[in-house]
Amino acid sequence: MHPMEQGAAVEVRQVRKRFGAIHALDGLSLRVPRGQIYGLLGPNGSGKTTLIRSILGLVAPEEGEVEVLGRRMPEREVLGRIGYMTQAAALYTDLTAEENLRFFASIAGGGDVAAALGFVELGDRARSVVATLSGGMRTRLSLACAIVHKPELLLLDEPTVGVDPHLRVQLWTGFRQMAAGGTTIIVSSHVMDEAERCDRLGLVNRGRLLAEGSSAELLARAGADTLEGAFLALSEASE
Amino acid sequence: MSMRRALAITRRLLAGFRHDKRTLGILFMVPLVMLGLFALLLRHDPTPVAVAVLNEDAGPLGRAIVEQLKASDHMAVTEPTADAARAQLEDGTLSARIRLPEDLSVTAAKTGAVKPDITLRGTDPSASAVVLQSIQQAILAALQAQARAGIGTLPTLEPQITYRYGGSSLDGLDLLGGPFVGLVVFFLVYIVTSISFLRERSLGTLERLMASPLRRGEIVVGYMLGFSAVAVVQSVEVLVFSLWVLHIYNAGSIALIFGIELLLALAAVNLGIFLSTFARSEFEAVQFIPAVIAPQMLLSGVIVPVASEPGWLQVVSNVLPLTYAVNGLRAVMLEGAGLGSNGVLLDVAVLAAFCVATILAAAATLRRTVA
Repeated sequence: MHPMEQGAAVEVRQVRKRFGAIHALDGLSLRVPRGQIYGLLGPNGSGKTTLIRSILGLVAPEEGEVEVLGRRMPEREVLGRIGYMTQAAALYTDLTAEENLRFFASIAGGGDVAAALGFVELGDRARSVVATLSGGMRTRLSLACAIVHKPELLLLDEPTVGVDPHLRVQLWTGFRQMAAGGTTIIVSSHVMDEAERCDRLGLVNRGRLLAEGSSAELLARAGADTLEGAFLALSEASE
Repeated sequence: MSMRRALAITRRLLAGFRHDKRTLGILFMVPLVMLGLFALLLRHDPTPVAVAVLNEDAGPLGRAIVEQLKASDHMAVTEPTADAARAQLEDGTLSARIRLPEDLSVTAAKTGAVKPDITLRGTDPSASAVVLQSIQQAILAALQAQARAGIGTLPTLEPQITYRYGGSSLDGLDLLGGPFVGLVVFFLVYIVTSISFLRERSLGTLERLMASPLRRGEIVVGYMLGFSAVAVVQSVEVLVFSLWVLHIYNAGSIALIFGIELLLALAAVNLGIFLSTFARSEFEAVQFIPAVIAPQMLLSGVIVPVASEPGWLQVVSNVLPLTYAVNGLRAVMLEGAGLGSNGVLLDVAVLAAFCVATILAAAATLRRTVA
């Protein structure tokens, strides 16, 4: 069959998934090497979330296969090595920041609560109940919950939606540090200026990967000045 | 199955309660308030029914009947004028007017028939029943008194009464209290679980659980342990209150009562998880109470015995698991039945099967992968 490719954190091969009449993933293939920050770029409804959920094994594709960290998905055990941050801050609002982290660490098989709190600079709010935290703090805590068990692969579904510029810079500094430590990060976004911070970009539209490369490569290929322009040009070319 | 991961869920639930004192207060206060209200309503001696007597009889029987009526505990008897009696009957001051016609004694002596003329207000069936029963007793007592005085002879009624279970002191609260203890635990545990699990879905934390190495069995067990812990404390509290404060009649084993309640609580946890799948909001989850829970309670025999339902409805009642909980709790508490007698084993078996069915249903809704 398919030999395991060394170095790939995620390998998606010809994945097809339909919801009713909508092709959420239309024979999409993708390979993300270890230690990279890979950006999934595309408009709302282009299939980014379905792609991330199928990488986690939460969506069963009709065709194709997904391998994560060398294991064929879906597989329960490998989930302990993955961190997942959903679009909305998914937290227990009746618990404190620390209790949330302790809980998510224990179901993943252990982790470092203090380090995760420090990473998102919430050490002083450890004992605050989530309901009393601001929106930005909740986003940071949600990220902390995704990394508390020191995952090898981190999946971030639009992590910076509704986040102020200051916090966005702060989060990206954190992502960069983690990648430097060997963590593979896949981040979805429809904000083009974030894309430039990724090592590699995949342009996703209508469940397909239109183009792939660094932002400089994509700009050159489309002959465009901005990533928005490149995206539109490459979308039209694929029609 | 990793107990450590299941217990992480349990700890998480209990930590939530620690921060949410209001829910905890409701869980532990509501059953006491409801049972207390039942006690006040069902143990309160009924107010005597207001009755007017118009004695037009010239003979001795009329006077004797009036005397007996006035001696009754169930009625407050007055002797107003005919016009006043009519007005009071219409404005609701009186529940009945009893007229003893002028030929009452004469007719009774001649034909043996006593013919009082009774007008009931007729809006309160229980008051009407009290009046009709009391007037018959009064007439019988009056005739017996006359018989003793040498006017005619009359047989006396002296039935020998034995109670196989319970006793003459058994009242409405004893009948309702036992099953109610079980149902209130079932009801509250169901509400708390379904809301809690719905929040798990709507806040997105369930998605996080699914993206973790947790097995769905660990989620179900974690939830069962967490809410059963609450249910156990609640059951102990309600039982202590029922048996030692309200003195609800109990002839059976407290351990067995407790066991039946625990089965109910486990079923409620899993029913809550299962039904929360079909609700999109907390509001919808609450709507399942009148839709799913209330009919079960009405048909469980707790208020109206299953045996007095129409035949086809009895079939429905006998399919619903709460009916067996009510049966079991009554058999244990009123009849002093053990696990091996009076059908208790069947009741417990049905409840245990219901538990297993709800556990499987709850686990089935926790599929990791959507096809």
